[in-house]
Amino acid sequence: MGSLSTYAGQVLSTLLAILVGVGGVAALYVVMDFLIGILPDKTQKRFRPWVFIGPLLIILTFYLVYPTLNTVYLSFLDASSEHYVGLENYIFAVTNPAMHIAFRNNLLWLVLLTALSVGLGLVIAVLTNQVRYEGVIKSFVFMPLAISFVGASVIWRFVYAYKPVNVPQIGLLNAMLTGVGLEPIAWLVNKATNNFALIAIGVWLQTGFCMVILSAAVKGIPTDILEAARVDGANGWQVFWRIIIPMISSTIAVVATTVVISALKAFDIVFVLTNGNRGTEVIANRMYKEMFSFLNFGRASAIAVILLLAIIPIMAINIRRFQEQEAMR
Amino acid sequence: MTKHLNPMRIGIYVLLILFALLFLVPVYVLLASSLKTFAEVQDMSKLWVPPAGLHLESFRAAWSGIPEKGLRGLSRNLLNSVYLTVPATILSSLLGSLNGYVLAKWKFRGASVVFPLMLFGMFIPYQSVLIPLTQTLAAIGLGGTLWGLILVHVVYGIPITTLIFRNYYAEVPTDLIEAARIDGAGILSVYWRVLFPLSLPGFVVVIIWQFTNIWNEFLFAVSILQKPELQPITVALRNLAGSQIKEWNMVMAGTLIAAIPTLLVYIVLGRYFIRGLLAGSVKG
Repeated sequence: MGSLSTYAGQVLSTLLAILVGVGGVAALYVVMDFLIGILPDKTQKRFRPWVFIGPLLIILTFYLVYPTLNTVYLSFLDASSEHYVGLENYIFAVTNPAMHIAFRNNLLWLVLLTALSVGLGLVIAVLTNQVRYEGVIKSFVFMPLAISFVGASVIWRFVYAYKPVNVPQIGLLNAMLTGVGLEPIAWLVNKATNNFALIAIGVWLQTGFCMVILSAAVKGIPTDILEAARVDGANGWQVFWRIIIPMISSTIAVVATTVVISALKAFDIVFVLTNGNRGTEVIANRMYKEMFSFLNFGRASAIAVILLLAIIPIMAINIRRFQEQEAMR
Repeated sequence: MTKHLNPMRIGIYVLLILFALLFLVPVYVLLASSLKTFAEVQDMSKLWVPPAGLHLESFRAAWSGIPEKGLRGLSRNLLNSVYLTVPATILSSLLGSLNGYVLAKWKFRGASVVFPLMLFGMFIPYQSVLIPLTQTLAAIGLGGTLWGLILVHVVYGIPITTLIFRNYYAEVPTDLIEAARIDGAGILSVYWRVLFPLSLPGFVVVIIWQFTNIWNEFLFAVSILQKPELQPITVALRNLAGSQIKEWNMVMAGTLIAAIPTLLVYIVLGRYFIRGLLAGSVKG
């Protein structure tokens, strides 16, 4: 533990960071506002927004566009970024057996995480809408959202913990299994269960998010429409499938794309619990391994580009949806 | 809607209570285990039994470490997380507010370029910038430093903070701004005099969003900060739990310590937290 003076120093330097940052930003804008004021009126009007959006554009170019393009460039170079190797890294990425497992698992994550989080979130949103104590139940489902992926993984490691047969089981699930006379299961080691065990953590974390947003959409459905359907003799099941689902379909799509993206990016849970061993590899974790364990920047970059390419179609859907919203403003 | 109890409603309640329990069980494990002693967590027959007393030894261990067993405490890392999260949150919120204002209230042609770029920045997998980013940070002398990570979080926070503020300011009547402009106010004084005073609710949402995201972030932190004494609490927690550790009470106490700031935000400001989620996903 550091002494009191080091803490004081750290606090001071944090305050300094805030002051310098805020002051710097303010000074930049004030100076530019002044400079633009010197220009003739007509030019002022044209340049003013650019002056203010300019820093944003420069930052995004330097820290977003440039690194992305640079990653594409690095993906055509060798491990130490010295020699051009053509498509070699991409050929590796699509033929390597570990990558095949990663592709399969990301698909599994995509399908299961999306179906389960959105499905459960929707069911809970619709059901809680019909009962008292709605807030209590929702806040329980929502709580995991405040916990980090790392924290959640650590908690679930304890839920899944495994000790050999005849040794007391400290893990929650195995204590329950042995309690009713069954054999304990090595949830994170057994290849039949480990991927599902990891995805379950993702479901635990993200269902609350889906539920909150879908719940807002369900509440947005005019009650007279629901009443009219009931008067016409529709049962709960029919109301759910024929009215609620079609009326909130665009929100379901938004929530689903968000979860799909998080499934494609899946990293923290896998990294913390299995590091991709025993058939649990995912693309993002493989990229990290190539970068930090094998120091192969070429392969790591190629895998990163593949990950980006997988996400781009979903990103495009979101951008188009956003532009449609803009057009309606 | 009728509220009397019939078999259908009872069924709904049972189902919902089951769901709630399912989501609560790991939280119970977290709370109960962190309050147990080392001997208690080793005994499976007591798994469901609440801790025998309020044992805070696990929290002391998680905070200061157990030197004789070579286990590091998390106090330093918790402070690192504070030093990281507070400046990064404030700066990215402020920049988002300024940019959001310009994009919402000053129509200009470039906006059609800026938007897709920002959405790109929101959805991009950080893996696809990681290598050049670490190299750039090293080149400007911020490699492996908390300052570098602060910079990264400010930059990658700007797209979402800008979008939330832009949607927020779009609701502010343009008349207010026109009036100020006629009075001769420039772009900056319009912001300072008209919009900034109205911005508190927007800042609350954005600050909560950024705070929880940066506090919980892992990939950038583990990639940029290699020195254990500089790492934020997410990385330190992973290292603590990653070793073949048997002190599960200590690990759980550490997990709880790491989650307390975001859980507090969620409990105290839950309404705004949800509003942030809605703003971040539905609108953006």
